[in-house]
Amino acid sequence: MTPILQLDNISKQFPGVKALDNVRFEMNTGEVHALLGENGAGKSTLIKIISGVYKPDSGVMRFDGQPVVFNNPREAQSKGIATIYQELSLYPELTVAENIFMGHAPKRSIGPLKVIDWKTINERAVELLASLHIYDMDVRRKVGSLNVGNRQRVEIAKALSINARVLIMDEPTAALTESDVEQLFQIVRLLKERNVGIIYISHRLQEVFELADRVTVLRDGQYVDTRPVSETSEENLISMMVGRTIDNLFPKLPAAPGKPVLEVRNLNHAPLTKNVSFKVHAGEIVGIAGLVGSGRSELAQVIFGMTPAQSGEILIEGQRADIRSPGQAVKMGIAYVPEDRGTQGLIKQMNIRENASMAVLRSLSRASFIKFGEERKLAKESIEQLSIRAYSPEQIVNKLSGGNQQKVVISKWLASKPRLLIMDEPTRGIDVGAKSEIHRLMSELAVKHGLAVLMISSELPEVLGMSDRVLVMREGQIVAEFDRAEATQEKVATAMMSSGQKAAVTA
Amino acid sequence: MAVSETSTPSALAGQNLLGRFFRKEVVLFIILVVGVLLLSTQTDKFLTVDNILNQGRLLTEVMLLALPMTYIIITGGIDLSVGSILGLTAITLGYTWQNLGLPLEVAIVVAIAIATLAGFVNGLFIVRLGVPPLIMTLATLALYRGLAEGISQARSVRGYPEWFFELGQRNLLGIPTQLWIAVISVIIAGIVLSRTTFGRSLYAIGNNELGARFSGIPVNRYKLLIYTFSGFMAGIAGWIFVSRVSTTRSDMGTGLELDVVAAVVLGGTSIFGGSGTIVGTVIGAVLIQLLKNGLALSGVKGDATIVVIGIVLIGSILINNFIQRRSGQTT
Ligand SMILES: Nc1ncnc2c1ncn2[C@@H]1O[C@H](COP(=O)(O)OP(=O)(O)OP(=O)(O)O)[C@@H](O)[C@H]1O
Ligand SMILES: [Mg+2]
Repeated sequence: MTPILQLDNISKQFPGVKALDNVRFEMNTGEVHALLGENGAGKSTLIKIISGVYKPDSGVMRFDGQPVVFNNPREAQSKGIATIYQELSLYPELTVAENIFMGHAPKRSIGPLKVIDWKTINERAVELLASLHIYDMDVRRKVGSLNVGNRQRVEIAKALSINARVLIMDEPTAALTESDVEQLFQIVRLLKERNVGIIYISHRLQEVFELADRVTVLRDGQYVDTRPVSETSEENLISMMVGRTIDNLFPKLPAAPGKPVLEVRNLNHAPLTKNVSFKVHAGEIVGIAGLVGSGRSELAQVIFGMTPAQSGEILIEGQRADIRSPGQAVKMGIAYVPEDRGTQGLIKQMNIRENASMAVLRSLSRASFIKFGEERKLAKESIEQLSIRAYSPEQIVNKLSGGNQQKVVISKWLASKPRLLIMDEPTRGIDVGAKSEIHRLMSELAVKHGLAVLMISSELPEVLGMSDRVLVMREGQIVAEFDRAEATQEKVATAMMSSGQKAAVTA
Repeated sequence: MAVSETSTPSALAGQNLLGRFFRKEVVLFIILVVGVLLLSTQTDKFLTVDNILNQGRLLTEVMLLALPMTYIIITGGIDLSVGSILGLTAITLGYTWQNLGLPLEVAIVVAIAIATLAGFVNGLFIVRLGVPPLIMTLATLALYRGLAEGISQARSVRGYPEWFFELGQRNLLGIPTQLWIAVISVIIAGIVLSRTTFGRSLYAIGNNELGARFSGIPVNRYKLLIYTFSGFMAGIAGWIFVSRVSTTRSDMGTGLELDVVAAVVLGGTSIFGGSGTIVGTVIGAVLIQLLKNGLALSGVKGDATIVVIGIVLIGSILINNFIQRRSGQTT
């Protein structure tokens, strides 16, 4: 059998970095092929070459045995290569159906005019979703009103609207909770049965073992190896990826919580923050678990002043704080690493230096004149502290790899030297090695510097591994609280879903 | 700002050098020089000290308005009401002095205060009620002009005392008085935009307003500030205008907003927000003024001048796009 896709000696140079150096890759039909590597290893670059976004500097790509050159994504699509990119690319103001058929909407003729056939669009969208066993989505709804899991499904439907033979998924689960991930896996298995070849990129190794047939590892833009998944182990893959072993993904120091840094009492903000009360102490890491849409980020944004509380109290170190804007929150020593780095966390068109200093610009200036020397110093320190892979502090953030962008967001808020650090999906898109580093840093900041940390994460192992206490949210309320000792996967997961919801959650 | 002190690969250095050399401002400057040289071959009245200084005098109002306009467009907004605010200032000045009998000094202050208030009102609606800047300032373009006409009742005001013309018609140290104000304003506006936290924040807002809010930047306060500043500068420009032409009429500054926006956009500020510089705006404004003047002196009629300016505007944007793509700044 000839592989459906075969790449040989592919190289790609960007200003300042060789993103791919003589890389090869091959894939068969009906195969799920995982692509692994650290942040900046070149995974996204490789799939962008396959999907026609970039042209390789050298190397050959064969599709069905024939050499092909794609000048743009459209040409790749016409061959049946569908791609879901790392950064979601839907139009929030358009409906589900419009998004799915963006660029190739079915048309009909009125006399000499060709107009979009709305009736067919909606019908075909419903059919397409049904073929993925998705029956509960209103195709006339605006995408902006969907949660992340459903948006992900729209992305898949959109990718498949072109009759895909190869489906590329770049970190599709980074924003998903367990139950959404399971949904996604079902769709992937369905496509596999239909002989679609699937390239799957993820930093969650369990997923690779659950889903993939073979795995290819890249390191620093170079090809390391391709193996059947059955012949590898987690340690094995990690050492191929990072060139060393990582003994502990959750290096947690024992905490000795001090005085409460944050206390909220009966906090309300319609519709997703209902009567929330809890405390976070100095030196303590409090994790918030919950399904997507349970109101975790909304709660964080109320505390941070993005959507100020409608009623209730916030106390910072025992003092009542009336936080009406993020600016005030920052002044009180609160930092918030937001959920979505692209729209909330970063100004992607600006460079690392400008992003790293954005939350602390005031303290980096005299009489509001920016001290550029100190700003540059801060940027360099950030790059070092989190090993951000960049050729210079002046690199535009948009041109960093996804995981490295996330590191910039984290360093931006660490730079503000907060008393209370709220982190919303802090390690989204970050590789195993860096994840362990960030966890270690978090724990150190809490224990050694008395920082209070409030961490929201959809990855249950992360919540359980790092938290001194776990709060569980459901429908805007805190429904359960567990100590580190008593928090187990089952208990937390059960609390996340009400009994009535348990059945419905897959919907 | 230094690109990088870290070890920069040579390929990169080369590319940056190219990219830096072909910065929008440099391209524009070259266009400006070429334009001036071409025009000076057409008529020997063009490239004379007297003419250039006089053009500086005529340029001042547009230049003063273009500074806040640059700030506003960088944040992704626009202010179409500046011409009308200028007219309103002029009328207020003349009316309060002649009809209400205020001392002229006080009338000037009152007029500028009203202009500032007019800008503040723009900002308030944009920030508090979320009215899109284009709609809001289009409405006040009509509204403020209407007010000016209502107050003036189609009468013009003349007979200002001699000292009042010092600003608009005389020289200070051999240079048109108002040009000093323009130069100082340009320098301050340039420094504020490129060196201060406020300036940095404007770029952040223009690139990603939500991201700027999440960074703790007081987005609303800054937006309110720039629209108010725009009103204030329209007030100053109105005062200079009246002093320069000796009379006050309610149609003063009609259509001026187009010149101002054209200067800013020609200067390389993106109409979508997020990028732009004061240097670019200055070159843009000078280029338009000199083109107008040079073409007029070469005997080209008014309508044709506008066509030429339009062509230059489109041409410079095309050249810039071409160079940007070549130097790989866009993907
Ligand atoms: N458009 C670009 N311009 C310049 N450099 C780029 C560009 N895109 C990627 N790079 C660089 O190429 C390298 C590989 O990036 P890539 O996005 O492929 O990494 P990745 O393996 O997908 O990482 P992640 O796991 O963080 O998503 C990185 O060093 C990145 O900074
Ligand atoms: Mg990537």
